[in-house]
Amino acid sequence: MAAEASKGLAKAREVYQDRPRRVLELRTEGKKIVGYLCIYPVLEMMTALDIVPYRIFGDMREPITKADTYLPTVVCPFLRSCLDLGLKGRYDFLDGIITSHICDVGASIGGLWNYAVQTPFSHHIDTPHTLHETSLKQQKALLVNLKEALEGFAGRKITTEALRDAIRVHNEQRALVRELYELKKSDPPLISGAETIQVIKANESLPVKEGNQLLREVISEVKDRKDGPQKKSARLLVWGSILDDTALMEMIEGLDANVVMDDTCVGSRPYFDDVEITDDPLDGLAYHYLVDIKCPRTFRTNSYTDVRKDYMKDLEGRFGYLRDFAGDWKADGVIVQSVRYCDTHGYEVPGIRDYLDSVGVPSIYLEHDYTEGALAPLRTRVQGFLEIISQ
Amino acid sequence: MIHIYFAGIDLGSTMTKIIILDEDEQVRAYVVNHTGAEHRRLANKVMEEALAQSGLTIEEISFIMATGYGRINVPFADRQITELTCHARGVASFFPNVRLAIDVGGQDAKGLKIKDGKLLDFVMSDKCAAGTGRFLEVIADALGIKVEDLGSISQRSKRKVSVSSTCTVFAQQEVVKHLSEGVMLEDVVAGLHDAIASRVAGMVRRLKVEPDVVFTGGVAKNIGVVKALEESLGCQVLVPEEPLLSGALGAALIGKELTLQALTNGETIQTSERHLEEATFFK
Repeated sequence: MAAEASKGLAKAREVYQDRPRRVLELRTEGKKIVGYLCIYPVLEMMTALDIVPYRIFGDMREPITKADTYLPTVVCPFLRSCLDLGLKGRYDFLDGIITSHICDVGASIGGLWNYAVQTPFSHHIDTPHTLHETSLKQQKALLVNLKEALEGFAGRKITTEALRDAIRVHNEQRALVRELYELKKSDPPLISGAETIQVIKANESLPVKEGNQLLREVISEVKDRKDGPQKKSARLLVWGSILDDTALMEMIEGLDANVVMDDTCVGSRPYFDDVEITDDPLDGLAYHYLVDIKCPRTFRTNSYTDVRKDYMKDLEGRFGYLRDFAGDWKADGVIVQSVRYCDTHGYEVPGIRDYLDSVGVPSIYLEHDYTEGALAPLRTRVQGFLEIISQ
Repeated sequence: MIHIYFAGIDLGSTMTKIIILDEDEQVRAYVVNHTGAEHRRLANKVMEEALAQSGLTIEEISFIMATGYGRINVPFADRQITELTCHARGVASFFPNVRLAIDVGGQDAKGLKIKDGKLLDFVMSDKCAAGTGRFLEVIADALGIKVEDLGSISQRSKRKVSVSSTCTVFAQQEVVKHLSEGVMLEDVVAGLHDAIASRVAGMVRRLKVEPDVVFTGGVAKNIGVVKALEESLGCQVLVPEEPLLSGALGAALIGKELTLQALTNGETIQTSERHLEEATFFK
């Protein structure tokens, strides 16, 4: 343990590089650690029970060796990596795991994890994929189940007040992340895309109040920094699959570009909408954890807008917020990226590129592998894109 | 009369190409050599060859532009730009009305959407051997024939057979099967050319296919593939006399543009130290 604890960006980097350290400490103090995959498990319920939610990630620098026994190679390498790490004992400190029906592989992984990794407590939320009234009803019922499961695990009930308090603290976190993102509007941005991933990933490895403290430190440090990212010729927004490692960002930011905004889940997605504190808090939570989060695993067409037959109107309904992001953060172009085999994001690509084209925002699609080695050809594509938009 | 010279270096995955032009865009030297494991580090050796051919010293070159996969391994280059932009420029200098440039090299294939000599969009395939020169190399090797003979052999075909375009390994298996069933070599080779052409055509159709369509890269030297591509795309495909040089040429031309722009604006051009040394990257 360092004599003087680090703060702000230095602390974020440390936690990013050695994620389990804090939760292992907390575990020796008797706290329960529950891992979660993706951003659909309800963090507020865990916080209300004084459980530490700990997001599960893969490790793109670790070759996948054990997961092949359970998952074919032609599926999401991120989820394969998560399972691989579980099989290798890297998540043995978890007291529980919450998974949700994020995608096909995401749906199976809960069961596989139970079978092969055997974390003591587990629960799977069969989150609906559409936004109809009936989906919202089902979502609420699923959250009732989740609440009961967690209460059984913790041995006590979640009171309405405790849940409301937890929502307030988590909303505070969301507001802090948005405040941090405001600092990316300047030219150059005060924090890079790579640093942002480090901060968000660190935040998702700590209890919510410690995460809030870290965010406050980072914001105050970054506001006045003189050693921030250099000004480059192009400002970019990155959309797509999970980026839980800084490698791709570093490749992009090593070229003549700053990444000033993102629409990814180790990024803005969990934080840009607050949970409404409703009379029955589960109503606000159900809405947030299905409707607010803009991951393409949720099918937004034909749902709350009646644009079934009008392609462009449908695209506007699904992606209009991206045009606002690009405008507010003054992005010159969008990197549309997905990890190989991610159908969820892959199938959005034609629509999203058509939409961006229609609103005059240039874009390029990159498919990557969740490995470090395959970045060089992507560098050529990004550089080529920058050469085109700089003409 | 004082001449100024510009060099373009295209360090590809299979071949290294260098061209030296004067201010009237006349070619003073060009070298085309195998990249190999050594040349990835030794672009300087190939440059020395080009300089010897031209009778110039490196200091006499006003601008050295590097491109290609290995562009970061050219320490004496003044700047590096992707082969996407360079090919577009180079192809447009041969065919000013080019709208679609297709480059199929040893290990990758690219489609470039061009208008008025400017790159507008691109598609690339560099993960899979099918649809690249490697496809033809592997199968030629298995058939015991030279890659350069494939084109002429295919022209003798009277009844070409179908060969899979999905995977080089599967295609190889099919070739063996066809031959063992008594299919004529030229018919198999013609089928191979159809396979690579349909693969490449499928990729470039993601951009708009409109004339002029130009085909470059080592594979463009194969008349069988050129014809098969024309059939797949349904239009004429133009091939420059030297299909390997468009990248290096484009690089040199852009170098010239940047130099003249700087001279007009009274700015100094940023150049490198011009030490002809190997890439220290690997030490």
